[in-house]
Amino acid sequence: MTNVPGPDSGEARALLVHAYADGELDPANALAVGRQIAADPLLTAELVHTNALRRILRERLARPAPPPGLQSRIKRTVGLADARSRPSWRALAASLLLAVALASGSTWFVLRQGTHDRTTEAAVDAHVRGLMAARPTDIESGERHTVKPWFNGRIPQAPRVVNLTPEGFPLLGARIDVIGAAPIPTLVYGRRRHIISLSAVPDTARGEGAAAPRSLSGYNVVTWHDNGIGYRAVSDLAAPELEKFANLFRSAPAGQ
Amino acid sequence: MLYGRDRDSRKQQKFPSLENFCFAARGNGVASATSTGGDVNGEIDRARFASIVVPHLSEAFALACWLTGSRADAEDVVQDASLRAFRAIASFNGTNARAWVLTIVRNTAYSWLEKNRAPQFVSVQDLGESAEALHNGSWAATLADTPETVLIAKADAGRVEAAVAALPPEFREVLLLRDIQGLEYREIAEVTAVPVGTVMSRLARARRRVIDAIRTHNA
Repeated sequence: MTNVPGPDSGEARALLVHAYADGELDPANALAVGRQIAADPLLTAELVHTNALRRILRERLARPAPPPGLQSRIKRTVGLADARSRPSWRALAASLLLAVALASGSTWFVLRQGTHDRTTEAAVDAHVRGLMAARPTDIESGERHTVKPWFNGRIPQAPRVVNLTPEGFPLLGARIDVIGAAPIPTLVYGRRRHIISLSAVPDTARGEGAAAPRSLSGYNVVTWHDNGIGYRAVSDLAAPELEKFANLFRSAPAGQ
Repeated sequence: MLYGRDRDSRKQQKFPSLENFCFAARGNGVASATSTGGDVNGEIDRARFASIVVPHLSEAFALACWLTGSRADAEDVVQDASLRAFRAIASFNGTNARAWVLTIVRNTAYSWLEKNRAPQFVSVQDLGESAEALHNGSWAATLADTPETVLIAKADAGRVEAAVAALPPEFREVLLLRDIQGLEYREIAEVTAVPVGTVMSRLARARRRVIDAIRTHNA
């Protein structure tokens, strides 16, 4: 602790009460200060009041949430791609389709869409978490013969790993995300300095279609199904480039 | 300034009550960002911005809101700070992106306040920071018996917000960074550019002032 007034002054002791309440003391000092506090009614009073205040500040003062458009606006200001929130023709057509499906009593379809969306949201959350962590990968390797075996023994089935370095999407590594209480393999690719998270979620949906890129929480997302796996590619990369990545990954030879 | 909204209407405000400004939803006047992004250079900067700054924008907004006391001002501050961060992004090579972003937001908020609310902006230096002693530990002696803590615990949100809003900026920011944003002492020292010891004494004083304000009100 630096710049604390003389160790014997009452002021220094009062400051240590706050440091104690904030968990800023190392264990040995915490023990000593804890004893001092217990022995001194004035220090006890300060601690009790401080803790009461910290509790109400935490509980009563809600964090002001930013207005919905702020993040997108800032990203646009610096020239980062961000999908429009305005409904496109495609989205209108999709909602029309949904309405038709509803009207025809095809609730199965609707329920499936709901699950699908929650999974995609979770994949976006995992991507953001990866960006905020010290590294976006648990294993850092551009070698798919290193990445694929790393998954074995950690999760039931290692995902398909494709080498896209020649196309300008180098493999950076991989991590395991948890989506809906299940461990999910996520490959991490790069594009210049952008990060792409590709989560491979086991999925019973049939078909091999890919959805158009869309924006979720300010990130672009491309989803597709292939061989019982629902893929979610998440990135701040511009939508066309992310779509290109998805197409390259899907069309890579099976032996790759 | 970059953003085309009328700020004169806000210049005359006293420091507004946080419950009225920070937490109330705003109906209009939000969508007016106009920067063309013409000064941007480099894909790498943009990618770094996306991974270093963007994840911390909500927190940046919360801090700006608390420091300026208004959502409208906080929006301007966060946008301004984001541009500053973007221009300086190449110079960031530390590991604590969060503290770096919050430092820029904090400094931007203060330049903004100085520019727009100069008359009300009184600094701790003006007050003479050392003049307000901690009473050598006797402050606690002014506290009554334990039932007081029940009064503190029952203080309503508006009262608490007003007490926090009434703190001098140097005290308020330390309290917010610690008790709302949850930063550690040395991170707060980094963000506010003062020694850890100063952080500690400001934090203690800030908390005592808020406790006093709540007690006085309840008494």
